[in-house]
Amino acid sequence: MNVIQVKNLGKKFRLRHAKGQSLKATLIDRILHRETRDDFWALKNISFSIGEGETIGVIGPNGSGKTTLLSILARTMVPTIGSLEVRGQVSCLLELGAGFHPDLTGRENIFLNAAIMGIPRSVIEEKFDRIVEFSGLGQFIETPLRFYSSGMSVRLGFSVAVAADPEILLVDEVLSVGDEAFQKKSGERMREFKSRGKTIVVVSHDMNLIRNFCDQVIYLRAGEVVRQGTTDQVINRYIEDVQAQLIQGGAGLGVTHEWGSREVEIKSVTLTDGRGKPTANLRAGDDLNVTIDFFSKERIEYPVFGFAIHDADRVLCFGSNTQIGDYRIPSIEGWGRLRFRLASLPLLTGDYYLSLSIHSQDHLTNYHRQEYFYPFTVLSSFRGEGVFSIPVTWMMGEQEALNAKSRFDPKTSGED
Amino acid sequence: MFSQLRNISDWKDLIRNLVLRNLRIRYKGSTLGFFWTMISPLFMMVIYFVFITLLKIPIDLPQLLVGILVWQFFVMCLSDSVNAITGYPSLIKRTYSPKYVFPLSMVLANLVNFLLSLVVLVVFLFIYTIVTPSYHLVIGPGLLLLPLIVLLQTALILGLSNFFSCLNVYFKDIEHIMSIILLAWFFLSPIMYPLNLVREKTGAIGPWVFNLYIINPMASIVTCYRYAFLGIPVPFSPFFFLSLLLSPVILIAGTLIFLKKEPYFADEL
Repeated sequence: MNVIQVKNLGKKFRLRHAKGQSLKATLIDRILHRETRDDFWALKNISFSIGEGETIGVIGPNGSGKTTLLSILARTMVPTIGSLEVRGQVSCLLELGAGFHPDLTGRENIFLNAAIMGIPRSVIEEKFDRIVEFSGLGQFIETPLRFYSSGMSVRLGFSVAVAADPEILLVDEVLSVGDEAFQKKSGERMREFKSRGKTIVVVSHDMNLIRNFCDQVIYLRAGEVVRQGTTDQVINRYIEDVQAQLIQGGAGLGVTHEWGSREVEIKSVTLTDGRGKPTANLRAGDDLNVTIDFFSKERIEYPVFGFAIHDADRVLCFGSNTQIGDYRIPSIEGWGRLRFRLASLPLLTGDYYLSLSIHSQDHLTNYHRQEYFYPFTVLSSFRGEGVFSIPVTWMMGEQEALNAKSRFDPKTSGED
Repeated sequence: MFSQLRNISDWKDLIRNLVLRNLRIRYKGSTLGFFWTMISPLFMMVIYFVFITLLKIPIDLPQLLVGILVWQFFVMCLSDSVNAITGYPSLIKRTYSPKYVFPLSMVLANLVNFLLSLVVLVVFLFIYTIVTPSYHLVIGPGLLLLPLIVLLQTALILGLSNFFSCLNVYFKDIEHIMSIILLAWFFLSPIMYPLNLVREKTGAIGPWVFNLYIINPMASIVTCYRYAFLGIPVPFSPFFFLSLLLSPVILIAGTLIFLKKEPYFADEL
């Protein structure tokens, strides 16, 4: 049975220079019949259905209409055209703790927030102790919210939202908040919901979460469905698109930073895979070759070239330089080319960023640094948590390692 | 059109919670807390009493106090109303609750404060008649009409609050225009002066000026309150009753406009 049925749905917004136009401007526009508003379709011709107990992921770049779609499913926004049918009680983790008031205590906020979500008071009274326990707030429950850390508020919000025990749960990037322990706890709670046959719609940029959690995925771009279907297919398509854009010089993390005294300048950089094909789309176990073309305005002795790889959370995965690597460069002048190879990348699936630097031997002069400058994506068949994959073999009791061959073999996967 | 209101009973928990929130946060953190709801009107009355007596200002204090309290209820609601929707963007955008609960709960919270200040007023008037031998308080059958009058004023306020809270979503200027509107409205209503004065001063021009004046719903409502508390007679003119009728009309019109625009608030915030 379909619990959510969306047919040819579209949502139009009016773009204005500043929201909430002044009265005078509006009156003048009305009188002169001037059309100053631009129509903008945030969602176009969206059709899909979600069966009972299914978990659906919604992915897409920023501004693709994911949150608008979720708002419409949550019935906080009305579609401009098309039809929407939702069966069952919906609880929405769109913005945790919407309606929390800093001057009220945790206890008072629980009742207020529950009322906003339409949960009857009797239900909340019954579940009050469990909510407090789940939030882990303990005696702070009688403290006004203004003294809470942001993590505490989010925990309280999540605890109330899941207490509703809805039939349909809409989740917007909330699983990535709070500390690690709470993330784990909320993740477990979500899995419990799933195992109890609840219908869940998740919006996230976290491909690992979507991959592990969802049965079906809808990929939105510019308000349109690019593809929908099984999780792996759709995610692969999405990653391909993202890479295609990144190769064209996309913005990446938004923290791209370039600086230096520029006696030497990095003029061009090419990333190639093990077969020498220029790409930013790599498979785990493949080689990454980096070619740097630089121009040195003057003669520089003993320059040091370095690089670093960060993941999407800006965690440093690996970094090195010619000095650490004992690769001595006596001097450079004019045009030059430096290449380095990172053999059989052991990274997990995800987005990564390459930073490059040229600096002096004593590290006091930075000639040119490009931070988070070259994004690339790694696809790995190896699953696990963290950044790197290390081949694992499981053995029960005294059993011999029968299947000692790991799923990750750098020598073979580099060639195919 | 009012079908959106049909499930209002499902949301009475929310309305009650929002009213409680509004009441709680006003005096949160102060030592006397909720007692301020009673203390501040009491001090206001005492200060008016002291200065009007000391300066021998020729003004009828009970009439003035009734006018001021009634006006305060009105002005508090209307100045709160502009932010009743725009003040809670995350609630409007992120939760599936009917939006009419926000102006409604704001008005109800102010109503609670107003009713408590009326209790203080009754006590004050009682003491005032004792300490002022020249004053004779006429407690008449009018007091029985008080619930009806409060209802009428609440209807007027809710209608206007619905209208202005909705209007401010589309035109942010309302916030600034509001204080000007309220100042003009204040002097156009018999707050600082008795209604009789208007009749006397405008009689020379013609009765139509007074008829026009009394059409202002706040003019007729304040007059009704003065009748209920002080026994001051109301003018028996058709315009007066028309003015009283205007309050439910404004309630319906304001609510209709609000409900019509309610589904699109999330788009605008």
